[in-house]
Amino acid sequence: MSDDKNRVAIVPCSGIGKPFGSVSREAAYEVCENLRPDDTRLVALSKLVLGESTACATVAHCPAITIDGCKLMCAARMVKQSGGTVARELTVLDAYREHRDLKPEGIAELNEAGLKLARVLAEEIAETVAEIGRSKAGKGGSHA
Amino acid sequence: MPEYLETTVDKFTFRVATDRLYSPEGVWVFWVQPEGSDRVRIGLTDYLQQHSGDVAFVSVKLPGTKLAAGDELAELETIKMNLSLPAPVSGTVVEVNPALELNPELVNQDPYDKGWLAVLETASWEAERAKLLDPRAYFSVMQSQVEQELKQS
Repeated sequence: MSDDKNRVAIVPCSGIGKPFGSVSREAAYEVCENLRPDDTRLVALSKLVLGESTACATVAHCPAITIDGCKLMCAARMVKQSGGTVARELTVLDAYREHRDLKPEGIAELNEAGLKLARVLAEEIAETVAEIGRSKAGKGGSHA
Repeated sequence: MPEYLETTVDKFTFRVATDRLYSPEGVWVFWVQPEGSDRVRIGLTDYLQQHSGDVAFVSVKLPGTKLAAGDELAELETIKMNLSLPAPVSGTVVEVNPALELNPELVNQDPYDKGWLAVLETASWEAERAKLLDPRAYFSVMQSQVEQELKQS
């Protein structure tokens, strides 16, 4: 999946000052840097807000997975407003509801539970990226 | 459908339903059956739910629990805080909103209707209601709380 058009755009929340926003970004880094670096492209939400051409082109051509920290769902909404397709909307709150023992705390530096929650979320995202890849391959896309 | 008193501060709009009474802490009390029952439905105000943040978990005292006014009725865990909610009136819990177990976000999405917390059987609604604020009085209290919050931010 080296061709950019065959990648999945990962768009985390850009919320400032809340642990749930920090978890969304930590999960995005984990996917894009460690779990699926060749299959994903990290897109900064602020670039979509600014209408930056590369970011907008990425979400226009690649399916996106959004990770939101709160109910405002800024990441999902911004991808749609930018003409992109959200393949899956994830929220940190839903992940936390499934893992109550992993309460995220801290903002600049997440606590251990927050980092673990980010890892859980990242693994779910990585699996979704793989599913999207398999689906494209099944439809005769260029992805092997 | 209830009518609302409404105020907008900065980007936030807060509503107060006019068909029920309130505690100063931001808990509403709706008389369920005016024909003689002393049952009341209880929930969070729009201001309290917005102030507290997205709800992750709700834990309400079980049916059969007897509460004095001020006793803890429910615990809410939000993305910002853990909130202990005091019972606005004394009584016995007779019903808990079953929808909140799977959908605690109803407290945020529909605080005056589907996001209700519990139904209490009061010993005497007439006596209990005297301790509560009418919608206009609570609206003033809420406005003061909003202003104070703005000064602190």
